[in-house]
Amino acid sequence: MFEFLKRVFRRQPGEPIVVVSGLPRSGTSMLMKMLESGGMEILSDSERAADIDNPKGYFEYGRIKDLEKETDKSYIREGRGKVLKVISFLIKDLPDDNDYRVIFMRRDLDEVLASQNKMIHRLGTTDTTATEAAMKEAYRNDIVRTRLLCRDRPNFELIEIGYKPTIENPAPTARSVNAFVGGHLNEAAMREAVDGSLYRNRGKS
Amino acid sequence: MLGGKNVKVKIDRDLYDRLRKVSDVAGYATTEEFVAHVLEKEMLHFEDAGSDDDIRNKLKGLGYIS
Repeated sequence: MFEFLKRVFRRQPGEPIVVVSGLPRSGTSMLMKMLESGGMEILSDSERAADIDNPKGYFEYGRIKDLEKETDKSYIREGRGKVLKVISFLIKDLPDDNDYRVIFMRRDLDEVLASQNKMIHRLGTTDTTATEAAMKEAYRNDIVRTRLLCRDRPNFELIEIGYKPTIENPAPTARSVNAFVGGHLNEAAMREAVDGSLYRNRGKS
Repeated sequence: MLGGKNVKVKIDRDLYDRLRKVSDVAGYATTEEFVAHVLEKEMLHFEDAGSDDDIRNKLKGLGYIS
């Protein structure tokens, strides 16, 4: 009880930070574009420019790449009342002095891996030596970890959004996301922001 | 004995028989010890993200972590 009261009085989290998360290539940039179009301010430094993999931009904040290693994470507070993109692997490293509304993108793992492999090939960077099956298992575990974490930490709320259903019909996603972040966004603009032509790595089903 | 240290979990009889056989061969003192060991190991996949080098290497290649 004492610990609980101490935590309540110590934390002054301010407005929640809206976090768009998921595996890389799961539609996080699409969701960022929807939120920006709907009227939310993005915490981004535009360090990574738009390219063939993300023609509408990445909406990233470069410093987030170091979130796992950095000890001073106070800059995350700049995201209060704004949107910040954080891949699921790094969710565990977000500091506890903020409240978070996590919008978690879900996409077929075969499509995710196909898209990631193409991107790594284009970038010419080093890939893991893990097999496709091992990576799928690792990513499944990553998704479970994120769900567990959001359930366990009282300053986290989570909503899951499907990539394919959003491409096929953006209206329900716009409605759900808008309600989740407070209901002040322009849903028509959010729907317009979805570009189905960018759904290039499709699964068999 | 409400709130005791151990709880019961029901599992399929065939699975239990397989677990009992393997735990005998593997040298565990009891089937319960074997089951607890397997579950502890499996839980690490979900609770310890820091150990996942496959994901870390993939994310580095994609430019999402440094």
